[in-house]
Amino acid sequence: MRTRRVLAGLLLALSAALVPATVAWAQAEGEDHDISHAAEECIHVLEDGGEPEDCHESPSPILPELHEIVWGIISFTVVFFLLSKFAYPAIKKSMEDRTNRIRENLDDAERTRSEAQQILDDYQRQLAEARNEANRVIEEARQTAEQLRRDLIQRAEGEAAELRQRVQEEIRLAQERATADLRSRVAELAVDLAERVVERNLDRDTNLALVESFIEQVGAQR
Amino acid sequence: MAADPRIESYAAALFEVATGEGSLETVEDELFKVARTIEGSDDLRSTLTDENIPLERRLGVVADVFRTAHPTTMALVSFVVAANRTRDLPAIIDRLVERAAAERSEVVAEVRVAIELTDDQRRRLADALSTRTGRRVSVKVVRDPSVLGGVLAQVEDLVIDGTVRSRLNQLRETL
Repeated sequence: MRTRRVLAGLLLALSAALVPATVAWAQAEGEDHDISHAAEECIHVLEDGGEPEDCHESPSPILPELHEIVWGIISFTVVFFLLSKFAYPAIKKSMEDRTNRIRENLDDAERTRSEAQQILDDYQRQLAEARNEANRVIEEARQTAEQLRRDLIQRAEGEAAELRQRVQEEIRLAQERATADLRSRVAELAVDLAERVVERNLDRDTNLALVESFIEQVGAQR
Repeated sequence: MAADPRIESYAAALFEVATGEGSLETVEDELFKVARTIEGSDDLRSTLTDENIPLERRLGVVADVFRTAHPTTMALVSFVVAANRTRDLPAIIDRLVERAAAERSEVVAEVRVAIELTDDQRRRLADALSTRTGRRVSVKVVRDPSVLGGVLAQVEDLVIDGTVRSRLNQLRETL
């Protein structure tokens, strides 16, 4: 394949070099022939009684000479034949290979892009799922924290109420104990005082009166 | 509750001696006072029950404490102390008093007062208690200053408390 390509390139270069050379050679040979022909024409003009100025007719600037056209067609045909025979298949084959390679590259690129898109979609889906999961976890954590906060507040309020009630109960009991103790002390003091007063004032006559009273009460009961 | 046979035996022996001496009533009253005195004095009770103290000394204490008592009373108390039954002496005397009262078809009334009672008061008190219990009562008076005033009488299971001490205790409970 590579050899055919090199050969086609060489033929193309040779053709490019050969055509101008052939045209130039044909042109040079044509010029010599034109000069003799012009001289011959000029001789005829002069022989027919014409003026020398009539011999100086310039060639057409647009139309080439006939031989140039013939050599050009032959050269073109040869070059066209060589190119169609050797260069064109190689160029076509190269173009087709290049087209296929580009198509494969494009397919690969498309496949890679699809895979990348798939990966991207998967990634975005996973990211969305992760984000949703994170949001769900955060929401659950928030709800848990809120529930925990409410529970703690409720428990703290309950404990505070219980503590307050217990303290109030303890205060009430302490007050009752203090009151009872005070009442007991007051009673004790009052009784002690009464006992002292009684001992001091309970003389024999009073005692005898108590005995008499006892005898009367016992005797009155049956 | 059945009495201890030994206490019963000692009480019977003392009762027979006092009866034989013809001084049962006097001895009965004095022995009752001796029993209450021993019950009310820890020092006297511990001295008379201490067998480490020579018997002569313990009998000397008895003679010194109850020197005004009837000779029969003194002899009976000394007899019990010499027999090392001082700890049972109050129970023996109580049983003797009950036995003597039973002989007279009476029940014993232990009366605690802060002052000495006259014979008339004793008689009227016995009559009142007899009226109350429906039985003849033999009054045994114990002078007890802790009652402050009034009378505390106990006849068997019946307790009649008319003392100032009980009134003060009621006042203390009420307050």
